[in-house]
Order: sequence, then structure tokens, then C-alpha cells
Amino acid sequence: MSVLLALAAAGLAGCGLYMILSRHVVRMVLGLSLLGTAVNLMLFQAGRVRTAQPPLIREGAVRLGESADPVPQALVLTAIVIGFALTVILAALALRAFRGEGTLRSDELRAARALGDPLAPEPGRDR
Amino acid sequence: MLSTLLAASLAGSCAAWPLGRLLGRRGAGWGLALVPAGLFAAFLGFGPQVAAGRTVTERLAWVPSLGVDFALRLDGFAYLFCLLVTGVGALVVVYAGAYFAERTASDRARFLALLLLFMTAMLGAVLADDLLLLFLFWEMTSVVSFLLIGFDGGSPSARRSALMSLRVTAGGGLALLAAVLLVGASLGTYSVAEAVARAPELARGPWAVPILGGILVGAFTKSAQFPFHFWLPNAMQAPTPASAYLHSATMVKLGVYLLARFEPLVGAVRGGRDVVIGVALATMLVGAFQAIRAENYKAVLAYSTVASLGILVMLVGLDGPMASVAAVGFLLAHALYKATLFFCAGTVIHATGLTKLRQLGGLGRLLPVTAAASLLASLSMAGLPPFLGFVSKEFLFEAQIESSWEAAPMAVAVLVNAVIVGVAGVVTLRPFFLGRGRVREVKHREVPGLLVGPVALALLGLVISLEPAWFDRTVLRPAVAAVYGAPVDVQVGLWHGVTPMLLLSAVVVGVGTLLFVYWVPIHRRLRAETLLDRVEAEHGYEALLRGIEAAAAGVARRVQRADLRAQLATVVAAACAFVGWGLLAAGVVPRVPAEPLAVRAGAAVAGAVGLGGAAAAARAPPLLGALLGTGLVGLVAALLFLTNGAPDLALTQFAVESLLVVLLTAALLALPLAAPPTRARAARGRDAALATALAAVCFVAVLDMSAAEPRTAVADFFGARSYTEAFGRNVVNVILVDFRGFDTLGETTVIALAAVIAWSLLGPRGRAADGGDAPDPPARPGPFVLRFATPAFYWLLAVLSAVVLLRGHNEIGGGFVGGLTAALAFAVVALAYGVGRARGRLRWHPLALAGTGLLLAVASGLPGLAAHGDYLRHLWIDAEVLGVAVKQGTTLLFDLGVYLAVLGAVLAFLFGLSREAER
Repeated sequence: MSVLLALAAAGLAGCGLYMILSRHVVRMVLGLSLLGTAVNLMLFQAGRVRTAQPPLIREGAVRLGESADPVPQALVLTAIVIGFALTVILAALALRAFRGEGTLRSDELRAARALGDPLAPEPGRDR
Repeated sequence: MLSTLLAASLAGSCAAWPLGRLLGRRGAGWGLALVPAGLFAAFLGFGPQVAAGRTVTERLAWVPSLGVDFALRLDGFAYLFCLLVTGVGALVVVYAGAYFAERTASDRARFLALLLLFMTAMLGAVLADDLLLLFLFWEMTSVVSFLLIGFDGGSPSARRSALMSLRVTAGGGLALLAAVLLVGASLGTYSVAEAVARAPELARGPWAVPILGGILVGAFTKSAQFPFHFWLPNAMQAPTPASAYLHSATMVKLGVYLLARFEPLVGAVRGGRDVVIGVALATMLVGAFQAIRAENYKAVLAYSTVASLGILVMLVGLDGPMASVAAVGFLLAHALYKATLFFCAGTVIHATGLTKLRQLGGLGRLLPVTAAASLLASLSMAGLPPFLGFVSKEFLFEAQIESSWEAAPMAVAVLVNAVIVGVAGVVTLRPFFLGRGRVREVKHREVPGLLVGPVALALLGLVISLEPAWFDRTVLRPAVAAVYGAPVDVQVGLWHGVTPMLLLSAVVVGVGTLLFVYWVPIHRRLRAETLLDRVEAEHGYEALLRGIEAAAAGVARRVQRADLRAQLATVVAAACAFVGWGLLAAGVVPRVPAEPLAVRAGAAVAGAVGLGGAAAAARAPPLLGALLGTGLVGLVAALLFLTNGAPDLALTQFAVESLLVVLLTAALLALPLAAPPTRARAARGRDAALATALAAVCFVAVLDMSAAEPRTAVADFFGARSYTEAFGRNVVNVILVDFRGFDTLGETTVIALAAVIAWSLLGPRGRAADGGDAPDPPARPGPFVLRFATPAFYWLLAVLSAVVLLRGHNEIGGGFVGGLTAALAFAVVALAYGVGRARGRLRWHPLALAGTGLLLAVASGLPGLAAHGDYLRHLWIDAEVLGVAVKQGTTLLFDLGVYLAVLGAVLAFLFGLSREAER
């Protein structure tokens, strides 16, 4: 099972990176989402895949019996929600960028260039 | 006792700022001078012990694990410095109080506080018996001198000079730090005394040259030795009281102090003395040459200081006991007369507003006491009997004759000393006694504050040589013994008969007098000679700075290509290469879990579907296809979670994926769906290769991790305490709301902030005239089936979300899943009838919802804080409602907060994106 999960996580990470390397902003956003899923799967794996038993304490028991590791699950749960918020905000940014610049290609979004060369020497600066 | 004095000094300098303002124009200098004067008196009290050859030590453990102590040690040499630093310090503070009389109270108080802080740093540096402590105080002197030199921060040249001195001296301090660390690593101790005692051992060790090099660079930069000397003349930008303090008795002598301490190491390393003496001779020549060429009053003094420092360093470099005697004697004589001359220069510049020697003359009648003090100091500087300068010059020549060196240092010393004689004549006779009538009036007469310092120090230079008994016994002999390492029999006396030293002194005075007489033509002739200006080390400093800036800009331009893609590719490629290289170089073979091929068929199919979805997403030219592929991957991930004991994750992932598809579809509708390839074929190939490499690294890493023995300590801890301490059966939820509640609170904040960001990004641009939100687009009827099913879906999801929220602590669920489910209910309405209807259903502003949620989550920790003083420690009550036992805690409040924050955030996304897309 762990081989399958490792393969899935690795494949997702590769596909995600391939998409992030694109110059199309929407593809990049989707790729980031894929990469997030891949990382969540890897984190989940850190608790090992042993059993299908969820980490719930049975009625009548006072401590957790044989079950999946709850710690990575707690980490991944919030990571999923935060990754979701991140993706949506990036999509909103893409939308606004398209409204403002009329393009979704990252190499054509050059509003920052208008601010000038950050490395140009400033006159009157102390040395 | 020593640490108490040091603490008193620090406390005094900290109190000086407020006190200096309170004491007013006249009182500030006199009042604050009590701090150094008190310390001076306290150090005098150590006299008998020091005279008896005892050292006073004190040791407090500081960082015991690193062998670093707060160790202080007072021996004869440190004693001489302590007396100089506090004694001259007291006079400088008095002088500065009068010098700054017309400045604002704030300026005056700041300056005096900085002077006292500088004194503290100097005291610490000379008392430290731990190399790291020494380094700390060393750099403190650099930083405080930076503040003193750049005191008039409004002037660009003051800022430039301050930066220059900081860069040079603090940079040299870094070299010293390297040497200190090497000493600590070689000897296993940071004690200064022990390091000096074990100098032969250091010299035999493999690090001898780097250690000596670091110490030399530190000392040379601090003591303005060639080629680092250029910061000192520039530092004349400092207010004159600071120059008098920094460049006579304190800052620049610190390098000499360090060098004299480590003299055994200089002698033990082959070539050490050659380097020191060579540098010293170059410094002497450059200083003397530039002193003749200088035009400004203070610049002449500054360059003569450079030359004097060269003499001191040369004396440290020479071997033999007389060299130590001469070094100590000259150090003291120079401190006394140079401080006096700076004081007099300051008074003249202050009273006339003129800075060039050429403009000054005939001030003897206007400033008679200052003129007298200047004359006494100049006579000492010229080395005429019966002044201390004469005694020290005799020692100097005796040391040279006694040492094993050839004639070169002797010739240079004669020449440079002659120039110093000339300078002594020029800086006193020209402004005060010659050129009568050149200056007819001064802005103010002499005031006591401006006179105490120069008169006291000038007279001291005479008293010590006439009445040497106490000084000889208490200061000179212990100091020489500490430097030389053994007692030396020295006799301070004016007349030793006609000796070679006396003849040399006579030659020096004769040549110097000639130099003084023909000073103006020589000065003009040398000024015309610009060769030295062109090869001045200062140009090297400027060029170095320009080079560093150009190199930084070049690197930034090369690395920062304003192309995200290339940068990301570089980072990933480097990371993969490093991991791969590390594995190969270490010969690590990744482990493979037992039974690697035991995979259930269903899971295998799911995995294949997920990978297929990912590949489709990566390859699909239309964006909608890529979006669907991404959604498919999310669903498969949820399935994998579900089948591997993580139903909480599965539920969250299902909800998130559904919402993501809804939201992104809304956004994509506003964008062109055709997305032609943005990469050339070759670029795609390279990216695919890089992606494959990353996938391979991830695969190997995860596989190896899976094969390792799991660590279950944390999981066991939570598993054992979840029910007994937090009364919850769903361990994941208990971790989120209770054990790691703070963490979750932070994440809830992130979610709420994301809502605010999204709303402001997508919020109405064209605001309505009344300032309210622009109206939502009108509701539109959706497809029939959807309309038919929507009410049912809506209520189903709403009830489900409430159940999931309430049961979350014991069963599957919780605030996150609940919030997402509730958001799905609204998303269904929005899909069927449009966003307007969904907003109508909600009635609340989504941001208000998110904010309320965050507030609830924050507030849920307060009862615990009130009851147990422990924020986010949840409280529980047992109650009976309608005959049913209910056990409820503030965890529910916390989870409700999370629920509302997530719901508000998702709705803010949904409403904002839909509205922006429909515009």
C-alpha cells in the first residue's frame, strides 16, 4: 500500500511542478493545488499506513486502540483548508490581473517594471 | 569589585542622558564628570596591590557550556589604561560640557552619554580576561565611536567618516573574532592571560599564522596602521572633545594594547616581528609626510597621531625589555600631550570658527592660559627636558639601540621624531605666538570648563618627570612587568650623562627645529607633490566599496532575471541535485517497505485514476480540462484518505474539492478558456525532465520513510489522554481544538484574513454613491432539475453541517468540515439561482460571519484563562437537559468559531468571485 501511496504522491508532485513551470497563470494555480495535494499525501504517509481503523476511541474504552496515526491527520486537515484558501486567493489574483493587464501569461504581466530598476544607484546615498 | 566598577560605569553612562538634560548648560559637564572621576579614584585605590605586583581577578560564569566566562583581570598594564581612560575621561567630560554650552540640552546630554558609554567600553576591553568578552567590548568601542564621529548626523561628511571608521575598525574586529575562535579551539580556553602564557604552544600549532594574522588585522585597523590608517584623519569630523578622547588615550590605543598583550605570540611566530615593524615604519613615514602636508589644525594633529601610533607599534615589535619600557612610557606621554593639544585646538576652533592653521595667529594674548597649556604640551611632544616626552624619547632610542634590529628603524625613527618636533612647534607657535594680528577677536573668552583639561594634563606631563617616585613604583614598573612578562628595573630620570640616546635626541631636536623654521616652503613643496594622494589607501577603500556594490548588483541582475519560471526551475534542479548527490556521496541505499507489492485492487485503481487525472491536468490544452483533472485528483486523494483510516480528512477533501471546482469554474468563466501553449517544445521537454526528477526524489524519499520504524510517542500521548483529559473520542478533533488549540487558532486567523483579502481583491470597484456595496446581479433561474432538487439539498447540507459540528468531538467531524459543508449548501443555492439568492439566504455579510467566528474562537479561551490562568484550556460542564445527560465544554464554542470563520471565508470567495466574473 505504501508503494502505491508513494507513487501517487510523487506523480502528483511531478505533475504539479510541470504545471507550475508553465507561463499560464491559471495552470500555475492549478499546479500549486496539485502540489499541495501531493504534499498532504506525503505528510499523511509520515504516520504510516497500517489500518483502515480511524483514530476514534471506542465506546467504553478510555484510550486509543489500534488505529491510524491521528497526528499527521490533524496537520493535514488544516493544511487542506489553508491550501484551498490559498488556491482561491491566487485565482482571484489571476482574475484581477487579467482584468487589469488583459493577459494571463506571467511573462507579459510586467506592471512592476514601471517602477524602475531596483538596482540602479540612487543619487545622494551615503557610502 | 571590578565588575561593580564596570557596572557603575555602565549605569552612569545610561543615566547621563536624562541627567545631562536636567543639569543644564553649566552643570552637565561638571556633574557628569563625577562618574569617571569617581572611577578614577576607585582605581587609584588599587595602587598598592598593583605596585606589589599582584593581579586582581574576578570570574563569573557566563556561558559555562561554551567555556565562556565573564572574567575580569587587573594587572599593571590594564591598570595604566584604567587610570588613563577614567582620568582623561573625567577631563574630557568637563571640557565637552563647556564645548557644547551653546548647543541644545538634548545634544549635550547625548554627547556626554556617548562619551561615558565609550569609556565603559574601553574599561571593559582592557579589563576583560576572556577573549570573547574582549571582542564584545572591542566592537562596542567601534560602534560607540561611530556614533561619536557621526555625532553631527546632518552633515554628509560626518556620516561618511563615521561609516568609514565603523567599517574599518569593526571589520578588523571580525578578523579578531576569527583569531579568538581559533585560539579557543586550539587551546580549549578563552582566557587572555592563559592564551598569552601559552603563546609558544599556539605558535607551534597549525593555526599560528591565521591567529596572528587576525590579531594583527584587528590591532592595525584599530590603531590606524598603514594601510588602514585613513579612517583616523577622516574621523576628525567628530566634535573635538571626542577627538581628544578617541585619538589620544583610548580608541586608537586599544590596538596597541592588544598587540602588546600578544607580544609573546608576535615574537614566537617566525616573521611576526618583521611584519609588525614593517607596517609600523610605513605608518610612521606616511603619517609624518601627511602631517607636513596637512593644512587643517586638527588634521596636522591627526597625522602626527598616526605617526606616533606607528612608533608605538614599532616599539611593541622590537625585542628586549627596553622596548616594553619605551612602549609604556611613550604611550603615557603621548596620551597626555596629545589630549592637551586636541583640547587647545578645540578651544581655538571654537573661539575663532577657523580651522586652517594658515588663518590663525596671535591668539596668545586672547587665550593666554590655553596658549600656556599648548606650549607645555608641545615641549613634551618635542621631547625637550624636563618633560615626560623627553624621558620617553630616551627610552625609545635606548630600546632601538638595545634591540637586535639593523639601522633602518633607527633612521626612520629619527626622521619621524624630527617631524614630530616640527609639528609640535607648528601647532603651538603658529596659532598662539606668531602671526600677531591675524586674528583680532574671539567669540568668547576662556572659561574654566575649557581650561581644566588642558592645564591638568599639560602639568601632569611635567610633574611625572620631575617627581617620578610614585608613578615609577605604581604605574610604570607594574605595567612594564605585565607587558614584558618579567620585572624590569627602570629608572625614570632626566639626566643619565652624555649617552648615545642623548645625542640622538639632540639630533632629532636639531633637525626638527630646522623643519619648523622652513615649515612653510617644505609644506608648499610637498603639497605640490600629488603622487601620494593618488596612491592613498583611501582610494582603495572607495574602490573596494564600489566593487562590492557593483558585484552585488551584478549577482542580483544575473540571478534575478524577473522570470519566475527560470528561478523556480533553478531552485528545484538544485534541490534535486543536492539530494541526489548527498545520497550517492554517502552511499545510502533507500530502504523499501516490507511487502511492497501488497496493494488492494480498489486502491490501485483509485491511484491509477488519480495519476491519470494529474497527467491529464498537466497535459490538457484547454483550461477546463485541467481544472477537471485537478478536481479528479482531489477526489481520489479523498478516497485514499477514506480507505486508510482518515475519514475526517476524506470529508474535508471532498468538501474542498467540490467547492474548489465550483469557485474556479466561476472564475474561469470570466477568462479566455483557450490557452495556447506558453512554452516551446524544447522547454516543455526540459520541464518534464525536471518534474520527473522531482517525482523520483519524492518517491524514493517517501518510500524510504515508509520503511523506517514509525515513531509513535506523540500519537500514543494523544491517544492515551484524549478521552481522560479532554473528554473527546475523536482524537484528531481533540488535537485540533484542545491539545494544539493555539495552532488551530492561528490557522483560523489565516482563513479569516484570507476572506478579507479575497473580498478586497474582488470587492466592488465602482462603489455606489451611498458608499455601500454594488448590487448583486439579479437572480436567474437555473436548470429545472437543479431548481427542483435545490431546497432539499440545501436543507440536507445545512442540517448535516450542524450535526458534523456538534458531534465532532466524539465522532467524525468538527468545525472545519462543518463550515465547508455549510458553505456547500450555499454553493448549491448559488448554482441554481445565482449568487443574489444565496446572499439573500445568508442575510449576513460574509466578512461579518468570518469575524464573528474568529472572535468566538478567541473568546473560547478566556474562561480557561479566568479559571486556571491558562488560555485555551477548555472548561467542561455536566448538565441534564430533558432527562439526557449532556457533557459540553468550551471546545464547542471554539469549534463553532472555526465553523463560522470557514463558512464566512468560503462565502466571501464564492460571492466575490461570482460577482467579479459576472461583471
